[in-house]
Amino acid sequence: MSTLTLKGVSKRFGGLQAVSPFDMEIAHGKITGLIGPNGAGKTTVVNLITGVYKLSGGSIRFGDIDLTEASRHEVARAGMARTFQTIRLLPDATVLANVMIGMYRLQKTSLIAQMFGLPSSRAETRRFRDEAYVLLERFGMTRYADYPAGTLSYGDQRRVEMMRALALQPDVLLLDEPVAGINDVESAKLGEIFRALATEGKGMAVFLIEHNMRFVTNLCDYVYVLDSGQLIAQGSAEQVINDPVVIKAYLGDSDDA
Amino acid sequence: MMELFAPHLPLLDLIFIGTGYALSQAIVFRAGTFSVASSGFAALGAYCAAILTVKQGLHPAAAVAMGTMLGLLAGLLLAMPLARLRGVYQAIASLAFVEVVVALILYLENLTGGPLGFHNIPRVVTPWMLFFAMVITMALLIILGRGGIGRAFDAMRQDPAVAASLGVNPTRYHILSFALSGAIAGLFGSLDALRNFSLTAEQFGFSILIGTLSAVVLGGRRTVFGPLVGVTILVLLPEIFRPLAQYRQAVYGLLLVLVMAFLPFGVFDSIMMSLRNRRLARQGMLPQKAGS
Repeated sequence: MSTLTLKGVSKRFGGLQAVSPFDMEIAHGKITGLIGPNGAGKTTVVNLITGVYKLSGGSIRFGDIDLTEASRHEVARAGMARTFQTIRLLPDATVLANVMIGMYRLQKTSLIAQMFGLPSSRAETRRFRDEAYVLLERFGMTRYADYPAGTLSYGDQRRVEMMRALALQPDVLLLDEPVAGINDVESAKLGEIFRALATEGKGMAVFLIEHNMRFVTNLCDYVYVLDSGQLIAQGSAEQVINDPVVIKAYLGDSDDA
Repeated sequence: MMELFAPHLPLLDLIFIGTGYALSQAIVFRAGTFSVASSGFAALGAYCAAILTVKQGLHPAAAVAMGTMLGLLAGLLLAMPLARLRGVYQAIASLAFVEVVVALILYLENLTGGPLGFHNIPRVVTPWMLFFAMVITMALLIILGRGGIGRAFDAMRQDPAVAASLGVNPTRYHILSFALSGAIAGLFGSLDALRNFSLTAEQFGFSILIGTLSAVVLGGRRTVFGPLVGVTILVLLPEIFRPLAQYRQAVYGLLLVLVMAFLPFGVFDSIMMSLRNRRLARQGMLPQKAGS
């Protein structure tokens, strides 16, 4: 298990400095949070890590692998899974199919075997289906297995997206506002799942972007705060929310208004 | 059994070959690629098989194999530049490819007979052969669709960004879909050539492209049976409505508009979806099924 390390990463869109150079570490076995007001550049950070955007500067390393120039599918194959701020499922595919496509990275059979449906390929499909059902069980979604994903409720669609990300068996899980629009009881349940992911077995590196302060402070081991593309604070959740700079970024100066 | 249908054999031929072309079109759609190059691949396969059989005296089976290979190769080559394009740009580029193939056939008179057509092709392909070619192609596509390739195609079609975020290399599957499309069209083009005595370039121009596209939209583009249903409707319709035969194009158009408006996924796919929804609704009525 290795750590995802960002060094001096920055992003500029034309004349606009979206994210100023910053360093960040996303360690395995830990839940790392990234918070900040709207438009701070949080999602840009995820898009930089996952190869959606090209870096304007700096480097990204994952253990021994250099991901600075990697494209989206290479990042995924290196063991990074993400969810999207606005849910992006395959709406017509069933919930089961949505989870199974997440296992693409684990596919070992050759194209030829898949093309002619050789026993190895069929066995693999069966195994993926079984593993998908284990995930469905974990998220309490078994009875929706055959439903088109697009027909589910918002919260259930979020769950499908998370199951799909977990289906990759990733080393790093990047969650873009995982509990947005989900009530406190349900978020607490999801929080327990994230905690379990970080501590169980090899221990995943969980990285989450969130607006929900209570959720972040309860869950995250380490928190980064971004404001207008600048990293303004980092530390334990406790430290960060009491930091005057952070309070100012969120609530503004007392002299403002 | 075929004797019973003897007077209609040419219709069956049309259905089998048309389905082959439509499958070639459907496979690129399934992968989320908007190529309409199938008729270009078919033309290459057809002329390749005809020329090899007539001029080189090659055995028809070998000629068909070569025609299929040429289609596959053309698919691979065309995929390289087209994988960089998306949506309507891909459609226009592939349309240009079809026009280039047709133009080449017209210009290379020594080889292809040019505008006069290519004649004296032995008629060796029987309806049974076409039928088996269609069934085998469909079976292969069903098998392929159920495994990892089908999953990758489905993901790319519905959301390319999500597919990439899951590790699917889009270029690789674009190329694969083009190669499959080329091989299928090449195969049925070759078979088409060896059942018809003669070939002309117009046979593979814009009208067959539109016909193939209509069949896929009409029947359904996600299942393997959709293209068969679409082609069958398009072939049989003018026969059933003989008096309307001269308004064929208008009927095509009207039918397409109606299907797109009321059955947007095509006749066959829409039926399958409504059956599935009904089954799910019935399950939902039952008190908590086992496993839930």
